[in-house]
Parts: sequence; C-alpha cells; structure tokens
Amino acid sequence: MLEQKKIGIPRAISYYNNYPFYYGFFSELGFEVILSDKTTTGLINNGSECVVSDTCLPIKVYVGHVLNLLDKGCDTIFVPSLQSTAHKINNCSKVRGLPEIIRNVVNRRFNMIEPTLDKTEGIGIKEFCKDIANQLKIYDNDIINLAMKKGWQMYDNFVQMAKSGISHQEAMQNAISGKFSLKNIDVVKPLSVVIMGHGYNLFDERISMNILKKLEKMGVKVYTGLNVSREEAMDAIQDIGEIQYWANELDLTGAAAYYMQKRKVDGIIALSAFGCGPDSLMVDEIQYHAKNKNIPMIVLTIDEHTGEAGFITRLEAFVDMLIRKKRKLIAEKANLKHMPEKINQNKEQVFLTRA
Amino acid sequence: MQAKVSKEIQLNKYSQMDDNIKAKDRIIAWPRMGRIDIPLKALLLTLGAKVVIPPANSKETLELGVKNSIEGICLPYKLNLANYIMALESGANTLMMFQAPGSCRLGNYTKMAQKTLKKMGYEFDMVIFDMYKSKMKQTLQAFWHVTRCINPFKYYKAFSLGFNKFFAIDEAEKQMFYYRPREIRKGEAEKYYNKWLKIIDETNTIMGAKTLVKKIKKDFKNIEIDGKKNVPVVYLLGEFFVLLDPYTNQNVEKVLGEMGIEVQRQIMFSGWLEHVLKPSIFYNKESHRERCVRYAKKYMKRAIGGECIETIGDTVYAAQNGVDGVIHLMPFSCMPEIVSQNILSKVSKEEDIPVITLVLDEQTGKAGYITRIEAFVDLVKRKKYKNQNKNLRERTTV
Ligand code: SF4
Ligand code: SF4
Repeated sequence: MLEQKKIGIPRAISYYNNYPFYYGFFSELGFEVILSDKTTTGLINNGSECVVSDTCLPIKVYVGHVLNLLDKGCDTIFVPSLQSTAHKINNCSKVRGLPEIIRNVVNRRFNMIEPTLDKTEGIGIKEFCKDIANQLKIYDNDIINLAMKKGWQMYDNFVQMAKSGISHQEAMQNAISGKFSLKNIDVVKPLSVVIMGHGYNLFDERISMNILKKLEKMGVKVYTGLNVSREEAMDAIQDIGEIQYWANELDLTGAAAYYMQKRKVDGIIALSAFGCGPDSLMVDEIQYHAKNKNIPMIVLTIDEHTGEAGFITRLEAFVDMLIRKKRKLIAEKANLKHMPEKINQNKEQVFLTRA
Repeated sequence: MQAKVSKEIQLNKYSQMDDNIKAKDRIIAWPRMGRIDIPLKALLLTLGAKVVIPPANSKETLELGVKNSIEGICLPYKLNLANYIMALESGANTLMMFQAPGSCRLGNYTKMAQKTLKKMGYEFDMVIFDMYKSKMKQTLQAFWHVTRCINPFKYYKAFSLGFNKFFAIDEAEKQMFYYRPREIRKGEAEKYYNKWLKIIDETNTIMGAKTLVKKIKKDFKNIEIDGKKNVPVVYLLGEFFVLLDPYTNQNVEKVLGEMGIEVQRQIMFSGWLEHVLKPSIFYNKESHRERCVRYAKKYMKRAIGGECIETIGDTVYAAQNGVDGVIHLMPFSCMPEIVSQNILSKVSKEEDIPVITLVLDEQTGKAGYITRIEAFVDLVKRKKYKNQNKNLRERTTV
C-alpha cells in the first residue's frame, strides 16, 4: 500500500458531538481523516442548491460539507444514520435519513460509508462500528474492537474536558491530539446564561453567528449541554416532569432544565433552526417552565438569510434586560438587609454599578 | 443501566390507563381521520360504550387548534387538538389517540395534547392505541379498558361490524374514485358514495355488514359512464393525516376527479388494518409496507420514521405499473416528508413519472393551489396522450 487510505467526515451534524470518537476509530483503523472546511456562506449556498428550500439550515449545511469534501478530491465519505440513541429515543427524521438525502441529492460518484445506529432495534455502537469497518472491507474483529476502544478513549476525554469548561473547539483539538487538561478555576462573571441548542447549531460559528464568543465579550458566562453530564441532564428532565423523547434532548431540554433547577443562571437562550420540528416542542416545554420560575428566556431562530445585525441587536437587548433585572434584584436584597452571600454579592454589585 | 431505570420510572409516571372513570360513565371520542368514525362508532357502541364524534374539520376547527397550540408544531396536531376540545366540550371524558404508522412526533403529540388540555381545565382519561406495533391482544385490552365489556359474543359482533364497515368504506371510496372522472351526469358518483356511507353507518347486523362490499360494487355499476374517455390515473400519497382529511387537502380527490383524473390513494384503512390486526401466521401476503421497502430500495436503504419510505416506494411502484402521475401531500415542516420531497425529484427523473409536492399549511390559498394542480394535470394528460400516440404509430408501422 503506497498511499494511506482516506475517509472524509463532513464538519456538520454529528461531527460536533461525536468527532473525537470518529477520529479515534478511523485513525486506529489506519485511515487518514479528512475534514471538510469550516462553514461559509458559499458552502451553505452550494448545499441549498441541492435540496428543497423548506429543508432546515443544518441539513443544507451538511450537504454543503459533503460537496466540499468531494471538491477536495475525497471520494470516500462517512455519512452515518443515527436512528435512535436509546430505546425509543429517536433522532429527527432528517438526521436519521442523512444517507438517504445525500444519496439522492448529490449527483456525483463517490463511496458513501453509511452505518446505522438504532438502539430501538438493538443495533448498538458495536454493531455500528462493525458496520463501518465491513463497508471499508475490514473484517478482523480484534482490529475493530481496538479501534472502538481508541474512539471511546478520545470521546471520553473530550466529554470530560468540555464539561470542565474548556471551549468546544479546544476540547476537540486536545482530544484528538491526545492531550488532556481540565479547567479548574471558573472565572466569576456577573451574569450567566444557558443556551439550549443542538451542538451542530451552537458550535458552528457561521450558523450560530458566533453567539458564544459574543456573549463572552458582553461579560456573560455561557453554559451549554456540554457542561452537563448525561445523568445530570436526564435527572433534570425528570425533575421538571418531562420525559426524554428526542435523541438530542439532553443538549436542549436537559441543559436548560439542569441550570433552571439549580438556579445557576440568569437567563435562558434557545437557538434553533427555522422550521425545526423537535426544537419547537422542546423550546415550548422549557418556555413553560421558565415562565413559572420567572427566568427570562429568548428564542433565536436562524436560517440562511438571518442578518447578523438584527441578531446581535436582539441578543444585546436581552443581555441588557438581564443586567437591569439583576441590578434591581440586588438592590432589593440590599434594602432588605438580607445578605447571606455577602462577599459574593458585594463583588457583583460593585461590578454591575461600574458596568 | 441508569437509562433503563429512569425510563421505567417515566413510564409509570406517564402511564396512560387511568382508572378514575367508571366504564359505564365513559364517553369516548377520538380525532377525525377520514371516515374512521363510522366503523369505530359501531364497534364501541356494540361493546356498550358511549361516544361523541367531533364535527368534521373546518375553518373553526383549525382556528381553535391554532389558538391553543404552539406555532412550530405540525398541522395534524393542531387539528387533533381542536377535535379533542370540541369533543370534551360536548361531554367526552375518554380520549383515544391512535399512533398512526409513522413514529415521528406522535409520541410527543399525545404528551403535549394531554398537558395542554389539562391546563385548559379539562378532566379526562387518555387511552393510546399503538395501531402500528400492537397486535390483536393489546387492541382488545385497550377496548376492554374503556368498555369493561366481558361478553365474548359482543366482541365478535363489534369487531366484525367494525372491520366490515372499514372494508365497505374503502370499497365505496374506490368506486367513487373510479366513477367520478367517467360519470356522464356530474356529481352522481359522489351521490352514490354519500348514500352508501349512510347505509354503512346504519347497518347493524353482522350479516348485513358482511354483504356490504358486494352490494356496493354492484350498485355503482348503475352509474352511466363515458366508456371511451381517456382517464389518466394519479396516485395520492404522503403524510397520513393530510391525506385522509378533505378539509386540509382541500378535497384534492374531488378536484382531481372533476378534472377527469382517476385518483388512487395508497393509504386505505382496510389495508392498514389487515396488516396490523391479523396475526402474522394468517397473513402471508406481502404487506403494503413491505412492498414499499422493496420498491424504494434503489433510493432508500432504511425507514426513517413517518411515511417517508411508503411515499418513495409507492412512487416507484406507480412508475413501474403504468400510473400516470403522483401527487405528494405533506403538512408544512413535516420532517419525514421533507426528506421524501428531496428524494422525489430524483425518483421522478429516473423513473420518468411526473410528481408534484403540495405543502399544506394554515394559509394554503385555494386559488394558487388549484392552479398548480391544473398545471400538473395538464402535464400528466399531455404525457399520456403523447405516449399513446407514439405506441399507436409504432403498432401501425410494424
Ligand atoms: S433536529 Fe431540527 S435542525 Fe436538526 S435536522 Fe431535524 S429539523 Fe433540522
Ligand atoms: S409525520 Fe409530519 S405531520 Fe406527522 S408528526 Fe411527523 S412531522 Fe408532524
């Protein structure tokens, strides 16, 4: 073998949650992993051209990334169908049908590696990995198991690092290059929010209009689904009396419910794609509880035409409102002379009056 | 492990079979789905239950539904919710929910509808029928739960009435689809259909119900038709609820029939019922779904929820069996059907069959809608006549 075999992975949809696993798995199998470029407007336009206009933005982006890989000369592309991630916990039909969409809308010749994960039908990660390997003509179970182990290891590291507060990008970089570090000191910021949204929306800087960095710049501490463990998220969903229905629910309802219950945050931001079915349900659930608990919430909907200016204006207005609310609260508390967390509050007060 | 435990807790917490309403006080209602009300009513009445049937969907229904649900949710949910509200208003206290073939947002629907209705102050018990996965046993249990009927003969009678009425309605529909484009006196087929619906509804004996299909077939033959008329056949397919609801699809069946098209709808109740309720040992025919999976293979390798694979499979089947065109109906933002829509353009090209997708939402304007159908019908007719002429020429030259 002269050249190392290559596999292309689109930087979209499950990339954002699972890439470390994919990377570990494929590189251990002896493949060079080729990633598509970061999302750009041009890439979105290319993707949009192939699908009907009612398709949601993340899927258009996905198609764009597949085209990008093909343009790079990569002709083996990994397009998984993640049907269900636990018994009867399904993904949205479009995520489930990614290979079906790609097969029919991308009119170019290439080799699509399309494994299925469907725990409802008893097709777990093991079968999923075997499926991938077999499609790549690798049949040795020992090799497959080893690769899987490598995948898990990178994935676990990623999850731990991200949970400790390291940024998504950095945690991913570290994980795939075998580094491990945890963030111990949490910078105290006067305001904090939780963003509920799919990983592929939040961490794609083009789709999310860089909302994370923008908030940090405004002095807001941001929590996402990455900062909550699986168990915590599931418990939180139960705590507020809901049941998990969607595979992505932990990143949305789970994260929001967790921070809502712990009363750690001053506000909730929902970021979702226009026309997204699951999001509309989950956001509605959280809105209901947020209202009951008197936590401000804003819903930001995005599509390929969303203008950045308007988006920022809305975000800033929301943050301003949070600041005003908090100031008032602190003032009231000060008047009541009821200051259990004296030191902390004073600090916040000083900061807020200065800001 | 953790996941498993918590799921069990969840199941208990949301267990649907409340028992706080006595069987004799139960008044049962269910959402509108085609004419399912006729057989279901017969079935439940025979078992000794009381029922309420919400009025057919209309502008009022839709408005009520829209007012009480969130914006992003799909049209079928809004209509179902309104059906429930209307039924509860007229005294229902037990709501039945059917899990239709797809397993898309429906699981969530029920949960949400329940919450919304409770918030609105209604008291009721919700019983869920998973018509897709459950077999005879669960179905019987559910009916036992709402009626507490223990007389086996009554069950026999109830199911026999219900089933035969299902089949009769399907037959009457099929006949109407055939006769409507061919009838000489406009509107006659529909008159026959309505007449038969009434008879089906009023039939009360097992024997009577069993002979319905035969009688319907015979009776429709009395309609005078233009035998020489060239009638193209068009398949109607797509999402279950909009396909079966004449209000949401703006009676597309009738519109097409009057344009001289014979429609065939792929989701018929009896086919579905047969496949669902008959124990698999008695069922050795290929089911509709199995056929769809087989025909869709070139384009789809897996089902992805909803009726997506049916849509694709039926379209391919249509193309390979001389059907002249396909109309694909879907509610706005329907996830599985958006996938279908994306795949269909390729199917249409490769299988050489005209396909049009009609997206239905709350504001579908009638005028634009009809114009699009007209243009499509023109295309279908032109294509059909062209092919026929070509065949004719080939035959004469040989
Ligand atoms: S979950 Fe929402 S955003 Fe994601 S693919 Fe489905 S519809 Fe699109
Ligand atoms: S199949 Fe479509 S209409 Fe039905 S629940 Fe799913 S998204 Fe809604």
